Amino acid sequence: MSKQLTFLMCSPRGDKSASHTIGSYVVSLFEEKNIVVKTFEVYKTLRKQERIEEMIKSIDECDIILLSSPLYIDQAPYMTIKLMDIISETFKQSKIQNKTRHLFAISNAGFLEYYHNNLALKIYEQFAIQNELIWAGGLPIGAAGTYATYPIPESLKMLAQLPEDDHRQEIYHKPTKILDSVIKTSVDHLSKGEIVPKDELQKLEFIPMPLEAYVEGGKKGWLEAAEELGTADKLRDKPYER
Amino acid sequence: MSYIILNGMSSDDEFIPKVNQIISEEFQQKDIRGDTIILHDKEIKPCLGCFKCWVQTPGICIIDDFGRETAKKMIQSDILVYLTPITYGGYSAELKKAVDRSLGLISPFFRVHENEIHHEMRYDKYPNLVVVGILDKPNPNQEEIFTTLVKRNVLNLFCPKYSTQVIYADDDEITIKKKIEESLREVGA
Repeated sequence: MSKQLTFLMCSPRGDKSASHTIGSYVVSLFEEKNIVVKTFEVYKTLRKQERIEEMIKSIDECDIILLSSPLYIDQAPYMTIKLMDIISETFKQSKIQNKTRHLFAISNAGFLEYYHNNLALKIYEQFAIQNELIWAGGLPIGAAGTYATYPIPESLKMLAQLPEDDHRQEIYHKPTKILDSVIKTSVDHLSKGEIVPKDELQKLEFIPMPLEAYVEGGKKGWLEAAEELGTADKLRDKPYER
Repeated sequence: MSYIILNGMSSDDEFIPKVNQIISEEFQQKDIRGDTIILHDKEIKPCLGCFKCWVQTPGICIIDDFGRETAKKMIQSDILVYLTPITYGGYSAELKKAVDRSLGLISPFFRVHENEIHHEMRYDKYPNLVVVGILDKPNPNQEEIFTTLVKRNVLNLFCPKYSTQVIYADDDEITIKKKIEESLREVGA
């Protein structure tokens, strides 16, 4: 019988999000290994009891739970915590059968440094422990917005066309290649019922560009977005100042 | 001086209201005025992750519900208290819903602070933060996550002073009072 995976996509931004783009790529690799995947967009799922019950049924039947969530102010957003509460309550009521299930998580931060995700991943690990899931590890992804627009294989194709001495080789191409490799290795382990070795996940522990460059890039991006809206001179407003 | 307590308990919690009462009484004794927001009683929709509070209506969430009022009360207080059941080591969903909606209190722009990237301040002054977490019984792993989470929040939310307390469900009233007094002292109340 085929293995089953429940994919919990936890970003309110839907298919515009890194949680969707990266998570969907991971899912496609599982499908290539004939693992049956059921996907739940958590922000839509939790609005309807019927859909929640479908999700619980999927978790009951699955071998792997893949949770992909953004990072909001140092931990998962409200809806991801609410999701964990609903799942925990169902386990508590013994409505989910005892079987071996792995939890693998993807945490996506807007900050450049991967380690802003560390606490969120530790929280997911505690959730796993509380519900007797096997914590299989997680991907701490910094500068996650980089991966929101294009699926990783498409990004790699585009980046491969850059000249070898182009500075984007170092700051975009190399990190994307490392992430792709870690994802593929993770899928290999998980599909065999194994946890992902820590030294594999640690390959994501790098900072691909100087912090100041990311700060400047961010500033430019926000100003461009605000200029389109005619709000560039208001970005530092203090509407609630006493 | 003023305070605001964001109470992130669930509706069936019988212990946290007692802790909330003790915190309010401690503030009253110090002649510090303020209020409690019982978050599960309020209509606060989840953050959409749209960043419009940064670029379209800078500083104000586009969702017009009590989440806006909560963010305003947070920044206008001198002492902000998060009261929450410790949930897998982090904040409860109810508390996090309000915290997520306070994103507009910080600037979209980044800065390098203590050799890490964080956001810039939007306001000149931010409240001191007291975070009180409730656990049924000691849990060193979750307590470590919780105290680290508060430290990280302080870096991202610019609180000049902060204090973290873990209260256990079997703590007696005297112990709870001592812990709360200690926290309020640490933030200069």
